[in-house]
Amino acid sequence: MSDSAPLTTDRPVQVASATPPAPGWSRRLSDRGLAVAFIAPALLLLLAMSVFPLLWALYLSFTDYSATRGGPAHFIWFGNYTAVLTSSQVHQRALTTLIYVVGAVTLQTVLGFAIAYLISRRTHGRGLLTTLFLVPMMLSPVVVGLFWRFMLDTQFGVINSMLGSLGLGQVEWLTQQRTALFSLILVDTWQWTPFIMLIALAGLTAVPKYLYEAASIDRASEWFRFRHITLPLVWPLLLIAVLFRAIEAFRLFDLVYILTSGGPGVSTETLSFHVYKVAFLGFNTGTASAYGILMVLVVIVLTQFYLRYLNKLKED
Amino acid sequence: MRYQKRTGRLTFTGRKARMATAAVLVATMVAACGGQDDGGQGGAPKAPATIPTLTEDPLTLSFIWFDWPPAQALEDFANEEYANERPNVTIKVNTVPNANWHDAMFTQFAARKTDFDIAILDSQHIGEAVTNGNILDITDFVNENIDVEAYDPYLLAAYGQFPQAETGQRDENASLYGLPLLGDTWTMIYRKDLIGDEPPETWDEMISVAEKCQADNPGVSGLAFHQANGSDAAAVTYNTVNGVYGGNLWNAKERKIEGVLNDEAGHEAMDVLVNKMKPLTAKGSGNWFIDEVNAAVAQGKACIAFNWIAASGGLLDPEQSTLGTSREEILDKLGFATLPAQKTNLVPLGGMGMHVSAYASEANQAEALNFMKWFEQAEIQKKWASAGGVPSRTDALESPEFLDAQPFNQVYTDSVSRMRDMWNVPEYARLVDIENTNVNAALNGVKTPKEALDDIAREQQSVLDSSSREGGGGL
Repeated sequence: MSDSAPLTTDRPVQVASATPPAPGWSRRLSDRGLAVAFIAPALLLLLAMSVFPLLWALYLSFTDYSATRGGPAHFIWFGNYTAVLTSSQVHQRALTTLIYVVGAVTLQTVLGFAIAYLISRRTHGRGLLTTLFLVPMMLSPVVVGLFWRFMLDTQFGVINSMLGSLGLGQVEWLTQQRTALFSLILVDTWQWTPFIMLIALAGLTAVPKYLYEAASIDRASEWFRFRHITLPLVWPLLLIAVLFRAIEAFRLFDLVYILTSGGPGVSTETLSFHVYKVAFLGFNTGTASAYGILMVLVVIVLTQFYLRYLNKLKED
Repeated sequence: MRYQKRTGRLTFTGRKARMATAAVLVATMVAACGGQDDGGQGGAPKAPATIPTLTEDPLTLSFIWFDWPPAQALEDFANEEYANERPNVTIKVNTVPNANWHDAMFTQFAARKTDFDIAILDSQHIGEAVTNGNILDITDFVNENIDVEAYDPYLLAAYGQFPQAETGQRDENASLYGLPLLGDTWTMIYRKDLIGDEPPETWDEMISVAEKCQADNPGVSGLAFHQANGSDAAAVTYNTVNGVYGGNLWNAKERKIEGVLNDEAGHEAMDVLVNKMKPLTAKGSGNWFIDEVNAAVAQGKACIAFNWIAASGGLLDPEQSTLGTSREEILDKLGFATLPAQKTNLVPLGGMGMHVSAYASEANQAEALNFMKWFEQAEIQKKWASAGGVPSRTDALESPEFLDAQPFNQVYTDSVSRMRDMWNVPEYARLVDIENTNVNAALNGVKTPKEALDDIAREQQSVLDSSSREGGGGL
């Protein structure tokens, strides 16, 4: 038996760094083998839960397979992809999703940054304010959808009741084409503005104080400081937050499901909601897989462009 | 650095590891591909004609339904009454939100494994379940154990037969896949204190009465009905008006919808619904379904409303109503009647049947068959009526136990001979979604009535005609 490494030491850091790997292990398992053994469970889990389903969906996307009908899957090659890409229904949902993503993310970015900027200028109660603003983000989207559905109800909702007490008429928040999409953007903004705020606040607090001090000495205006110090330093971080939110908004499902069910008609049906219908109403698993894969591809391609822009921004 | 930074070619070990990973993935995929064939037989497996020996061990018989009062009523009733015959059996009625009902059942069917033994399917779900082999063919069992003469033939057909029966009939040569659990149809709920004791008899008269009532009573809308684009809400509303105005949903034999649904009668029905009825509803009611219509009635906000009978019990609860402090006071103001007629007197067929999951264990399938046999007995059907259920046997429907249980039960008995169902085909879920979204669009001003109806007919026809082999099925 070889000597074992000491369990304790008066100078743990120095001794530990000089201690060779336990020889007992080396005979049975090399360090590399040990490393593989440690990461194998996580790797297998990843393969089983993420990689395999993705590859499986990819395979199904080239077939006419239906989960309920069963039977063998027949290869139809790019038939599903062609159908999805040329479908006017898909184009309509893509436009709805685009309007939603641009509207919601823009509003959240402006509001989130504004709130973060105001909070960052406070010296007292900053922690409490930040925590309070974060509450909506901690709620389940289904719960948020349900209580907003009640609040936005034309007849019985508190929002119209408040408008009524101000002498304003009833608004059909969820049953008119334009207001329904606006309501979705509003609710998503209520819930997710804190996320942008949090990231922006992190960026704002990281701006070195001496830059502002130097600007003060030069008698720079508030706007000048904001335009030339704050914004350029926070901008890259803000863009990352925007990226996260845009990806999230792109795959919006839960709020649509609870608040409007895609209505009126299909005017608030997003791409994700439509995929759900294709997958679970008609159980057209092959088509739904191709649809999902295409959505992932769109996100990946757009993200790549975005990241390149972000890297360029950093280099500049 | 403890390890050299690896560049260039992979080491032998690295290559081996990657090849092994790839092999595992390919093997898993091949295994999964091979696993697909097991359900490809199609068609429903047959249940035995006689009930197999039942277990004496403790057993839980599980149902799946959506969350509404009859679900709890069924669980309470079955646990109380069935226990007298089978004390070792516990009944569990699992519920999901109405909007998830179809998905909850069929995703489990898709997995070829269900956590329920009896699926409570809407009549229109039968085609999908039978075609996919998800529920048992109980034709022999019914012939051996059930007195089919005790039912209105169309009720027996509607909740069990596939292919679908013609309206009002039953094909005795067709197979049966379920038995009635809960009958249902729409009732007209009207305010006796606002429009008088006598309900309107024609659809046109009903609209006129509602118009006058709305004008005379500010804050109260003339009508309240289902308009939502989820479940089958807006679709049933249009189908009802379509039937009343002499329209047809489709030509079942030729599988033709285009030109049938959107014929002259169909367009007239859509025009009546959107241009005459919708203006009499409350602002923002474009997403109303069962609960919202009941809330409007209970709060005294509607002169005339339409709702499913099985969901109307809560209207008489003083704790949920502003119309009175007792059931009697509420009944002084609320009346229940069969739907007005116009060119025809058709009413929508609602309700659900019991269907045995093909993936339940043999012991549970046997117990399910025994439960169904027990449930369809005359005396049990009457007790079910007293417990708040809507039976299907004619003797139970005409019994005092049923007719005296609720003020709207007479409406159901009177409506049985007038019922019409939707399409009971495997494509039902998509057909109803197309109709729901388009009728909802018309009711909320997104489409004109004509545009909406023509779109429904065209899209539904393309669903019936589509071949999944070309790709893009479901779009």
